[in-house]
Amino acid sequence: MRKLLLAAALAALCPLTGFAQSTGDLLKGAQNDTSNVLNYGMGYNLQRFSPLTDINRDTVKRLVPVWNYSYDDNKSEESQPIVYQGVLYVTTNAATMALDAKTGQQIWKSKIEYPDETPRIVCCGIINRGVAMYEGKLFRTTLDANVIALDAKTGKELWRSHAIDFKDGYSMTVAPLVADGVVITGISGAEYGIRGFIDGWDPETGKHLWRTYTVAGPDDPNGKTWPGDTYKHGGGSTWITGSYDPELHSVFWGTGNTGSWNPTSHPGDNLYTCSVLALDPKTGQIKWHFQFSPNDPYDYDSVAEMVLADLTIGGKPTKVLMDANRNGYFYVIDRTTGKLITANPYVDKITWAKGIDPESGRPIPSEVTDKVRKGEAQEVWPSALGGKNWSPVSFNPGTGLVYANTLNMGMQYKPVTPEFRAGLTYWGAEIGWAMPDGPRGFLKAIDPMTGKSKWENPSDIPRFSGVMSTAGGLVFAGKLTGEFEAFDADTGKKLWQFKTGSGVEGQPVTWRQDGVQYIAVSSGIGGVYNMFSGDDRLAKVPAGGSLWVFALMPQ
Amino acid sequence: MKVLTCLIAGTLFCAGLSIAHAQTGEEPAPSPEQFAKGANLFAHTCSHCHGPEMVNPGNFSFDLRKFPHDGRERFFNSVRNGKKAMPPWKDILHQDEIEAIWAYVRTGGVAPQ
Repeated sequence: MRKLLLAAALAALCPLTGFAQSTGDLLKGAQNDTSNVLNYGMGYNLQRFSPLTDINRDTVKRLVPVWNYSYDDNKSEESQPIVYQGVLYVTTNAATMALDAKTGQQIWKSKIEYPDETPRIVCCGIINRGVAMYEGKLFRTTLDANVIALDAKTGKELWRSHAIDFKDGYSMTVAPLVADGVVITGISGAEYGIRGFIDGWDPETGKHLWRTYTVAGPDDPNGKTWPGDTYKHGGGSTWITGSYDPELHSVFWGTGNTGSWNPTSHPGDNLYTCSVLALDPKTGQIKWHFQFSPNDPYDYDSVAEMVLADLTIGGKPTKVLMDANRNGYFYVIDRTTGKLITANPYVDKITWAKGIDPESGRPIPSEVTDKVRKGEAQEVWPSALGGKNWSPVSFNPGTGLVYANTLNMGMQYKPVTPEFRAGLTYWGAEIGWAMPDGPRGFLKAIDPMTGKSKWENPSDIPRFSGVMSTAGGLVFAGKLTGEFEAFDADTGKKLWQFKTGSGVEGQPVTWRQDGVQYIAVSSGIGGVYNMFSGDDRLAKVPAGGSLWVFALMPQ
Repeated sequence: MKVLTCLIAGTLFCAGLSIAHAQTGEEPAPSPEQFAKGANLFAHTCSHCHGPEMVNPGNFSFDLRKFPHDGRERFFNSVRNGKKAMPPWKDILHQDEIEAIWAYVRTGGVAPQ
């Protein structure tokens, strides 16, 4: 009888392990499975940390490119590669590609088409951030707000689900998340007066399973935080992939700024904009929310990655969520309850708030913000690009530090009366830059509990790449001027760099295959800083997307 | 004789002006109202690709500071129908709005006195 039960149990497990790639594989993350990179963020925790040590402080000087692959695309290349069993999957706005991870040879390329009008409603770069993989299928989004599934072996499209009409300002750049067998996607467009949401899809058929609005409507008790019909254009985009804690069965997804930016056009807290939501992946139900910037005037969009870690706080192991928020404060939140543990500045200059109330978690507005709420123009720090923009951080559990590409920029901000017109911007503010004389950005090694930096590495033109750290004592990041760089994780000293042909806005990943550790990163300029900062120095950096893969040269 | 000289000189001057106009196609300066409307539309519709006040590196989108100020037809065609990375706008921007943006661009973003 016992044998029979065992056989039945094995048979029940087989369908999971027999597929090309399973829930079990996804749960491992790059920290427990160094031969693959199966998750956006290199793990459900979005830590972007690898335990691999072949490439380390001593050997990194032998790091050389082993292949380069042209994307045949001149847009911003922010896609994070996924690697499974020696095949690398990567995207641009215009194609999905499968490559031999060792040689760079293209296995297949599946092109994406969208109407020529689509880029009109994309504020900050023509971008796609990558695929999710599950049971032999790849899932990605398209700029014109479709979610599609491809056969990982052939690139053939298996299903296509239309999320919403792009002509109303909605677009998609997000890499999907597969959590507990549900494909989860976000939406872009808070600058165009959308009403944001997060969707759940059936991976097998593309059937729409649920939609959770990030702007509470009349059917939600928090809908009262929006006067009248303002929720209909309330913003709250969700364009960065969430993290997932399978033990808590919670997905943690950040939400974007209000529509319009002018806070007087929608007085109230404007839930759930500029927040993090803890969601049940099966139903999309909100378990808790934490709002970073209520009634936000400044585009302090909080979509960027919610990194999960287990920290010892007050001698107690604590399941936390960490966020280097656009508003300039570094938050550590108890991810079981949604309660704030601590929030401290991680940038040098914050003028919009005096601090974060430790009890309520709410910001304490400064005189600057009081005046803005009365309709006055003010100089505000950080700028609308934030203390950190989308560029994902890395958390190294060994050093306990968060490595982040931070920004040092302010803005001249003037609220104006917004006018909604479908398909056009719905800003409600005029902004100009207040740039410092020196560096506009720093790669920082941040203590999450204090916000203070152990070290900082400046850059005149700020870095906008993802960051990756490894147990080899290294931190990898890239510059908009094209350099892909490695730093000593303890000191911040630059140990290595390679000049790629365009600006690096990509997200580095690493894996080990046939005894060799590889590192991959996309190069290709065209993101928000390049387009919107007015930084003429980048005229010397040509567009041109490609993927670079590096390994150690034999001794 | 003096009158004749003046007439000839005047005719030559006018001819010169009209040749210059035909060659450059330069248009009269826009009204301050039209310029302001164009600057506002540019900020809200164009600046996220073409940069605030037209300042951008020109590696992703056209550096409009270099757009020929006599290129009305080319400008309208690009805006209405799209070109390369530029999406078409004819179904959403009205003629007078494109006209105002053109007024802003062809003055190099410098307000008329």
